[in-house]
Amino acid sequence: MDEGRSRLRIFVALVTVILGILTLRLGKLQIVERSNHTGQSVNNAVREWRVQPPRGRFYDRNGVLMVDNEPRFTLFVTPRYFDEETIPLVSRLLEQPDSLIESRYRAAAKNPFRRAPLQADISFEELSRVLEQRSHLPGIDYEITQKRQYHTDANMTHALGYVREISESALEEFSEEGYVWGDPFGQGGLERQYEREVRGVPGSDFKMINIKGQVVAEYLDGSQDRPAKNGLDLNLTIDADLQAFAESLFVNKRGGALALDPRNGEILAMVSAPDYDLEMFTHRLDPQVWDSINAHPDKPMFNRVTQSKFMPGSTFKPLVALLALGVGEIDEHTTVHCPGYHPLGRGLRYKCLETHGSINVVEAIRYSCNTFFFEMMRRIDVNSLNRLTTTLGFGSRPYLDIAAGEVERGNVPDSTYYNERFPGIGGWGQGHVMNLGVGQGEMEVTVVQLARYMAAIANGGTLVTPHFVRSMIDPETGEEIIPEYPEPVTLDLNETYLELLRKGMRQVMEETSWWLEIPGIPAIGKTGSAQNSRGDEDDSVFIMSAPAENPEIAIAVFVENAGYGSGAAGRTASFMAERYLKGYYDPSRQWVLDQMFREQNSAPLYGTVEGPTG
Amino acid sequence: MRRRYTNLDPVALLAWAALVIIGIMAIYSATHGPSSEFYQFNPRQNFSNQIMWLGICLVGMVIALVLPIRFFQQAAFPIYGVTILLLLAALVFGREVNGAKSWLYFGPIGLQVSEMAKVGTILAVAQVVGMRRPKTMDLRFAFLLVGVIMLPAALIVLQNDTGTALVFFGLVPIVLFWSGLDMNLLMMMIAPAIAGYFAIVSMPTAIIFVLLFIGFMYWRTRDTRISIVTAIMTGGVVALANVAITMVLSDYQVQRIMSFTDPGAEQFRQNVGFHQVNSMAAIGSGGWFGKGFLEGTQTQGGYVFEQSTDFIFSVIGEEWGFFGSLVVMILFAVLLIRLLQLGANMKHPFGVLIAAGAAGIYLIHIFINIGMATSLLPVIGIPLPFISYGGSALLANTALLAIVLSLHLKKDDFSIYGY
Repeated sequence: MDEGRSRLRIFVALVTVILGILTLRLGKLQIVERSNHTGQSVNNAVREWRVQPPRGRFYDRNGVLMVDNEPRFTLFVTPRYFDEETIPLVSRLLEQPDSLIESRYRAAAKNPFRRAPLQADISFEELSRVLEQRSHLPGIDYEITQKRQYHTDANMTHALGYVREISESALEEFSEEGYVWGDPFGQGGLERQYEREVRGVPGSDFKMINIKGQVVAEYLDGSQDRPAKNGLDLNLTIDADLQAFAESLFVNKRGGALALDPRNGEILAMVSAPDYDLEMFTHRLDPQVWDSINAHPDKPMFNRVTQSKFMPGSTFKPLVALLALGVGEIDEHTTVHCPGYHPLGRGLRYKCLETHGSINVVEAIRYSCNTFFFEMMRRIDVNSLNRLTTTLGFGSRPYLDIAAGEVERGNVPDSTYYNERFPGIGGWGQGHVMNLGVGQGEMEVTVVQLARYMAAIANGGTLVTPHFVRSMIDPETGEEIIPEYPEPVTLDLNETYLELLRKGMRQVMEETSWWLEIPGIPAIGKTGSAQNSRGDEDDSVFIMSAPAENPEIAIAVFVENAGYGSGAAGRTASFMAERYLKGYYDPSRQWVLDQMFREQNSAPLYGTVEGPTG
Repeated sequence: MRRRYTNLDPVALLAWAALVIIGIMAIYSATHGPSSEFYQFNPRQNFSNQIMWLGICLVGMVIALVLPIRFFQQAAFPIYGVTILLLLAALVFGREVNGAKSWLYFGPIGLQVSEMAKVGTILAVAQVVGMRRPKTMDLRFAFLLVGVIMLPAALIVLQNDTGTALVFFGLVPIVLFWSGLDMNLLMMMIAPAIAGYFAIVSMPTAIIFVLLFIGFMYWRTRDTRISIVTAIMTGGVVALANVAITMVLSDYQVQRIMSFTDPGAEQFRQNVGFHQVNSMAAIGSGGWFGKGFLEGTQTQGGYVFEQSTDFIFSVIGEEWGFFGSLVVMILFAVLLIRLLQLGANMKHPFGVLIAAGAAGIYLIHIFINIGMATSLLPVIGIPLPFISYGGSALLANTALLAIVLSLHLKKDDFSIYGY
């Protein structure tokens, strides 16, 4: 039996050794090399899904929802796991032709392990149909995308901007802020300017996938997930109704309008025509459509409020009047004789529209007498004009909270400018400067600058900072953030002189262009028509503010090649102001609108002229 | 005369029950976890099937405990004969599953006869040893024992179930060891297998092993002839393995064999190494205490194929960690050592051989199965006793245990005169 005992011991030892070897092996895998294997298993089975938060919503000044988001879904295929036999099922569920799904799958199959979009922009209903069948559809998964949804009739194209997938260059620049491929990114306008605030913080979902690439469960019951944080909602200063109404007045026109509150610079409406429908950027954009927008001769991408530079024409006259009063060249009673032209050019070069006879400064504004203002600039040097003009915000880029690069500076000449432009003795002279008196010549302004200038006249000399955003609201906490803008500039302007300007501009509305007067609401305004190189017709320019006492709205309108300022531009401004102040326009003036539209339709301006405003 | 039996061994029985319960939990996790809706019908069915087979096993165990010792001794050869017939029948009428033609179907119930053959073979071997006069061990007797084992093994090889056949080959030295074969001869039988393993894993190790072993044998026997035979056998296997790998076998076969040494290598990980890479990822990522029941990402994602059968240890390793693995290893150790003790207690060659044979069969399965799951060995498809899904294997393994328990229960009935 000793023999048996020793054999038992040997065999027990053998069992112990073999099980011991296995235990050591397990210890090596599970304790020593644990992290390697954990990495491998996580690589295999856990996938991170980026959760795009809804972008911030935009509300107008009255709380009307203008822009929010609609969740849409993108279906992805991972070719390695996909079963080709299921192509007919997929196309039936998506209501797409077999051939389309098959060709997308074939294209994706070149990179078998990379997820590729199979069908973008599908609705929740379509997605639900697919998910019901998901156990039969290996290699198919989806992501939520947020699509911008526009709720009002207002296009507001240039102010809003749009959202696209982040570009390669932007990705390089902003990768430190957590952007990755495929993230949405604001392009132009408010979407770009407030990208950081509106974007929110993307979250992550960790999900367990099985060997066929199907999501089988939340990883660790979602404990590792990071919820997405919604973007901030923007309360805009825009009046959606006014905006839509103003856009409707610009049908068949090229031009721009800016309405702002002269008390604080809040932008009530901004129109640049022609525009385009932002809705098309919410889908996959057909490159041909994109090209046609870019190549359109009327340049719809061009923001005519901030980028069009044009001569201010007679809208500049109040400024010249203010200068003449300010430097003491004239007073309220000083008169100038207008024989229908300024004598300097022997009646040929410096014409007036009419023979005004002896005329003072208020009357000169009221009748827009060229002779008076030629004479003023004959007496005053160009650099004095330059100083006042630049003080009033011309010749520099105004701050505007839509992508700063798209705002033009315009041009306000001074002697240095003329010396460079017309070198040599006698290269330039009084004639050039006199032309500036009526807003012609080398002067270039933008609609934004005109609107601020108008507001400054109306509000007693404060150069406001135009802006689109009143406040930003965190939708989760309700916390309100007031964006910071440059402080408005209080100019040292003489209120008595401003009152004279307003008196003349009041008479423009009351008498000279009486059809522009808003029934029941006294307003001030000034017409302008400016020569240009774009066509035969002058540009129609108009600035106005209403009510005359305690103004609530200041408007500048510019319509390319539409003739007199009291025509297209004046009518547009007048009706915008009426709509804003009353909420409707008086039917007694329907004929004024009809006439404007008739003129447009009989001679549509759209596409008749080559090249944009320069 | 009625006898009260009080020797039903609780230790082995509890270890068995614990292992079966762990197995059923692991099968549940592999087939009914959060991801199971994506599985085909087949693996999901494994859980309920295993429960059904467990029921059959319990009934069988009760029957085995009731049967007298004499029944097992008398029935040993007939059962062996039936086993051989079944193996032949499977070769002719059998259904092919996973490439092996080793399944016989009785209505809806499939029986893997190669599993059943283990029971019949061990019974026959035990009976042969039990009938022999004590203390005689000649070569003719040894050849008889080897023949009894190799006959079913050969049929199983013909069925193309090499993995199961390997278990029979492994049984040979164990049986010879317990029937009193000379230790030197035994070592000379086992050493070539170890040398062959090292030849695949690391050639320098193999050569060092061969040299050490020759020296060891010479030191033990002081016999030059034995040392030369040893050198020829072990060195020959190493040389053969080398020739086979470099010249005879096709690239694919070599890769299959070699891949386990580094399954994660670039050329293996997506094909022949895939099973083991993912099995190791599952087990290794379990860490100390595992990811928790139904929480294993590898298991629930179905990354390990055959995870309710041959690779079931990946489920335990991943979801219960090193702690859970250790529990399983301890339970196996308790069961195996207890079986050997029970056998030794019986003081009858038949009982000793059945107990040692059962323990040996389990040990081979455990070593190959967990060795494969942890990439210590190449992929050889055999189940983990009591844990893997598989009705035939559970029934066969439980039958062996039940016979040992039954024999031990009635060990005083053993006749010293055979039967």
